[in-house]
Amino acid sequence: MRRHCIAAVCVIAAFASTHLWAAGAERADLIGKVCGDATAMGEAGRSLTRIAADGSPDDRGWAALIARALIDRKLSCDATGAVMASAVGSLDASTGLQRNIGEGSRSPLLSLKNRALFETAEAALALRSAPDPARRSAALRTLERQASNLPEQLFDAAVREEADPGLKTQLSAVAQAAALNSQDPAKRIAALGRIAATPDRRALTLVRPLVNDPAYAANPDFKRAVDAATARIDRGIAVGDVLATLYNGLSFASILFMAAIGLAVIFGLMGVINLAQGELIMLGAYVTWLVQESLRHLAPGLLDWYLIIAIPFVFLITAAIGIGLETVLLRHLYRRPLMSLLATWAVSLFLINLVRVSFGTQNLQFVTPFYVTGGVPVIGDFIFTWNRMFAIAFATVTLALTWALMQMTPLGLNIRAVTQNRTMAGCIGIPVRRVDMLAFGLGSGLAGLAGLALAPIYSVNPQMGQNFIIDSFMVVVLGGVGTIAGTIVAALGIGQVNVLIEPLWGAVAAKVIVLLMIIGFLQFRPEGLFAIKGRRK
Amino acid sequence: MKSLGSARPFLILLAVVLAVALLLGISIAIPFGLSAYLANAIGQLATFAVLALSLDLIWGYLGILSLGHGLFFGIGGYVVAMHLLKHSYEVTGKVPDFMQFMGWKEFPFYWAGFGYSSYAIVVAAVVTLLIAGVFGYVSFRSRVGGVYFAIITQALVYVAMLLMFRNDTGFGGNNGMTGFTVMFGWPIGLHGVVIAMAAISVLMLGLTLLGCRLLLESRFGVLMIATRDDEVRLRTLGYDTLLLKLVIWCLSALIAALAGMLYVPQVGIINPRLLSPDLSLEIAVWVAIGGRGHLIGAVIGAVLVNAVKFWLSAAAPELWPFILSGLIVLVALVFPNGLVDLAKFKFVRPMISKRLTETPELR
Repeated sequence: MRRHCIAAVCVIAAFASTHLWAAGAERADLIGKVCGDATAMGEAGRSLTRIAADGSPDDRGWAALIARALIDRKLSCDATGAVMASAVGSLDASTGLQRNIGEGSRSPLLSLKNRALFETAEAALALRSAPDPARRSAALRTLERQASNLPEQLFDAAVREEADPGLKTQLSAVAQAAALNSQDPAKRIAALGRIAATPDRRALTLVRPLVNDPAYAANPDFKRAVDAATARIDRGIAVGDVLATLYNGLSFASILFMAAIGLAVIFGLMGVINLAQGELIMLGAYVTWLVQESLRHLAPGLLDWYLIIAIPFVFLITAAIGIGLETVLLRHLYRRPLMSLLATWAVSLFLINLVRVSFGTQNLQFVTPFYVTGGVPVIGDFIFTWNRMFAIAFATVTLALTWALMQMTPLGLNIRAVTQNRTMAGCIGIPVRRVDMLAFGLGSGLAGLAGLALAPIYSVNPQMGQNFIIDSFMVVVLGGVGTIAGTIVAALGIGQVNVLIEPLWGAVAAKVIVLLMIIGFLQFRPEGLFAIKGRRK
Repeated sequence: MKSLGSARPFLILLAVVLAVALLLGISIAIPFGLSAYLANAIGQLATFAVLALSLDLIWGYLGILSLGHGLFFGIGGYVVAMHLLKHSYEVTGKVPDFMQFMGWKEFPFYWAGFGYSSYAIVVAAVVTLLIAGVFGYVSFRSRVGGVYFAIITQALVYVAMLLMFRNDTGFGGNNGMTGFTVMFGWPIGLHGVVIAMAAISVLMLGLTLLGCRLLLESRFGVLMIATRDDEVRLRTLGYDTLLLKLVIWCLSALIAALAGMLYVPQVGIINPRLLSPDLSLEIAVWVAIGGRGHLIGAVIGAVLVNAVKFWLSAAAPELWPFILSGLIVLVALVFPNGLVDLAKFKFVRPMISKRLTETPELR
């Protein structure tokens, strides 16, 4: 056993010494070329790039110094080799020992062509060994344009060693593109397989031009690989697009639902269209902002969680505003739905201008917490983004809680009773006015929560409520009053139809078509999708 | 109906309106210091009053609230703007701004014929009738009413605004249309022309008032009020309320379009903001503040609210929304019939014992 070990150590030592010796000779040889004529200097530049690809870390560090010094003209050639000027004095270029410049020294001048070669070499070396990610990313941008002329091992090694995930993705993309343009057909086919594994539009732009490649006609294997990759990418993109449309539609529908559910509760109960609902959404977003700012001053550690912490504040404050509105104004407009429509518009006008005067018209700045940033690429161009997911999850939780409140609590029972028959509910002793007040508070609080869900996604300004109000009216009109199910189905329908039509004819056409569809639909069911059965008023 | 809709106050209002029209007419021939600015303001107020009348006709007398009357106002305005641009182009050869902006050398095909004023008027009427007719028929047939109708009309005007904001529709896009120079061969900025436009607007207000009054006095008007008060009973009696509502709805749309046609030449610009849901809501506010279900109320409301708005938008623009919302709340809570209730305080004694009754409202 011991004998083996000794033998191994001897072999390693011998190898290390030969390597060192070889490196010394190579370095001297390279310095010779650097000090030679233009052709030799070009060769030296290419050798430096090769060192970047397969040299040892030690070699790469040395090569980076040489390349930098040559570009900066800090290198002088003399009879025994070359000397670099550095902070600690002049050093011998091949050994790194201190020595003075010999007689008759000159500093070699790079021609335009050679300068490009050395800059490439310098970037390649920086890509492998620079400690600063910004420097590596800058080097990658320099190399990207000439990726196919560089040794393949360079990118493979760089991808292996890269620690920064964003840069790693970029690097592997460049490496793939480089492999795709290499001379070896087997390598190209392997690269095609790797590219097709992530089927998106970027992959398609890489693969599609290969149909015009000479190898496509000449090499049947290559042709098959290209066709297979194109088909696989096309399929992936198609699936991704469908999923992305569904996902966008779902997230739009959740926002619509959030905006409309409060409106639907109030409308179902009191027959009042609350035109100030959009402004309650806006106030919800402003309260969220206030919570964020307080956290910033009082507990900066919790700043990222402001969206969660704000939930009770937003709900209670907007619900209180709603209850106040009902007590002061709408209670007196009972049985006058059109007048209460105008009165709530007055409230909305008042709130918009109040906020405008006290906060200004500019958009509020929100911190984007880590749980609503980024996303997971799934397939094709479909990215499962967390901010949309947040809206969907928030809407789902709100829906579950609202449903539970309506179905399982005494208040919910009372609300449903008053919605179905106000007079009869009053006769059997339900405090109708109190139910009105609490339901209005509930509807306003839900609007406030919608504002909270919108805060990290949309621009928050005094006008923001106006953008949702008409869409959410349409949801209520289509869904029919007094049922949560109607609101859900209508929100999903309008959201999906909007998202489906938008890419075809644009956002305006989508709105026009949705409106026409609703008018047409009301021909058959004037009371909406899920109207409560009963005598027609 | 008898208290204030009775003949005397109405006749006084009509006389005042006609007198103002006459005064304006005289000042064209013999200038006596009436500034073009004041005349223009009076003319604009008159068009707003016509617009308010059109809404009062269906809301006050038929119980149908439209929050989309700005659409018909806008149709009238856009058609007149197209006529003025085409006419100005034919006289002066100046290519309209929006075409230069889009890089168009020729007018789109649907602008053909707009150089003739009579054609433009016919187009305005036909388009208004078409949209109002189809939408009204579809809505009234399925008995969409009350709040539903209000919301859908609001969506309608909103969608129209979004459409007009697009630059490729050939109607001026988000900049709208402006730069009218010639009207019936006359330069539009001329002192006399400005006053003449105002005089015509006030005259039209008088004619509309008279027309509405005659309509309401007729048997048809009685049916309108009966529909408002109890539509089911009227239907059971064998009247076709669908047709009745449709006719009044279309008439109201036509009056709103007329107001738009009078308004745009006086302000000299039209842009999609005219179609914003807020303006349409404001019309309802004028009527509500003045007094729904009274022709006088609509006129007084429109003139008063807009006069205050004109004055404040120069003096303290940021104050206006607060005052407007305060007015609405005041009307909603204290004067259910609008300012017309003030008049009742004066005429009826003792004022406390007489309860204020509100004009009924359809659900």
